[in-house]
Amino acid sequence: MSVENLKAYIESGVLELYVLGDLSPEEALQVEEMAAQNPEVKAELSAIELAMEEYAMQNAVEPSAAVEAKLFEKLGFEVEQETVYQSNTTIAATEPKVVRLDGSDGKLRTLRFALVACIALLVVSTAALFITYNKLNDAHDQIASLNLDKQKFAGVVRQLEFDKQGLDNMVAMNDSKEWATIRMAGQAFSPKSKMNVYWNKNDKSVLINYVAMDLPKPDAEHEYQLWALVNGKPVSLGVFGKSDSTGTEALQKMQTIQEAQAFAVTLEPMGGSVNPTMDKLTVMGGV
Amino acid sequence: MTALKKPSLTEAELVLALQSRDSAVLKTLYSMYSSALYGVITRIITHTELAEDVLQETFVKIWQSAENYDSTKGRLFTWMMNIARNLSIDKLRSKDFKNSLKNQDIENNVSFVDEQNKVTFNPDVLGVKQLVENLKPDLQSVLNLVYYKGYTHVEAAEKLDLPLGTVKTRIRLAIIELRRSFN
Repeated sequence: MSVENLKAYIESGVLELYVLGDLSPEEALQVEEMAAQNPEVKAELSAIELAMEEYAMQNAVEPSAAVEAKLFEKLGFEVEQETVYQSNTTIAATEPKVVRLDGSDGKLRTLRFALVACIALLVVSTAALFITYNKLNDAHDQIASLNLDKQKFAGVVRQLEFDKQGLDNMVAMNDSKEWATIRMAGQAFSPKSKMNVYWNKNDKSVLINYVAMDLPKPDAEHEYQLWALVNGKPVSLGVFGKSDSTGTEALQKMQTIQEAQAFAVTLEPMGGSVNPTMDKLTVMGGV
Repeated sequence: MTALKKPSLTEAELVLALQSRDSAVLKTLYSMYSSALYGVITRIITHTELAEDVLQETFVKIWQSAENYDSTKGRLFTWMMNIARNLSIDKLRSKDFKNSLKNQDIENNVSFVDEQNKVTFNPDVLGVKQLVENLKPDLQSVLNLVYYKGYTHVEAAEKLDLPLGTVKTRIRLAIIELRRSFN
């Protein structure tokens, strides 16, 4: 067939009718023969087919799902059969996986045991740590309370040493005979108080002994002041601190006084006063 | 099978499986082409139930006459589309269809009329429809009759009162327009 004739044949529209299924069997056979003999016809036919296929794809309408079920039921492809077929393929697909897992099974099990052991160890360690921490806390508490006890005992020992020193001095003074002991009794301001003053007959020095006194504890702004009454006039012999003085010496030396008829102690503001505050007269005693 | 994961095989694979009577391939074939074929059918037969019947018959026929398909003569889809078109046209002309038109219960009329005038807004289709509408009216009317209404070109020529050759040429020109738009 000549090129012109071929072109005319293609342009006649018979190929389109062939694709649309709109030809008699004889005509269709003729088109198939033409296509087999002429690549141009074959190519044109393919282009038309593709266009119609594309067109149909783009004009696709989704049928209801029921149609598919009915169709396969009608053809005798049971749904069960279908699922069996699918599950067979699933098994076949997963089989290599099982084999692969078998290969590393021992290692996996070892790792699993190791993991369990690690977790157990972690739990035990945590418990032990917790118990140790509690014990440590107890130990700290004990150390603190022992320290407190130690301080308390140290205080007691210091107090005892202080008292012993005072008592030793008192004994020594009593033995020497040159010391006069003046006992001062509690006055209206503090009836229960009492205190001793030691007055040396030779050099006239005056001592007080913290062990031999029982005075109320003064507050921070006050201290005691020792007075000597000389011909009815008070003379200050100095101030002294609290009964449990922080000093290590039980004895405290006061000012000397040549003569005195009586001694007295008053509670005065810190540093002492020029004249005694008589309503704070704590103890007094005559020579 | 959803549109999301349609299995797809090449045409050669499909044909091979189909002709070796592998029943699984029909599932694949259905999921790949049922909506395209239903698109063809439902334009010729607008009645949903009947159109679905034809779709079912189409796949039954594809399965039963698979050995008749000759890949040297054309594409698989062309063969399937022609089965669908022929069955649709047969259905349209059958007593079955005419009876179904006549014997509608009065209560069902409204829904039936609705079905007959159903407009589907398939977004994929909108552009193509517009394309067909953009064809020259004489091309459009021929394509409408032959592709959408299932007329043969002889019937279309009679209906439009045109020479056969003109109808054929117009069908060709219309399809060339489609080819151009898909390229």
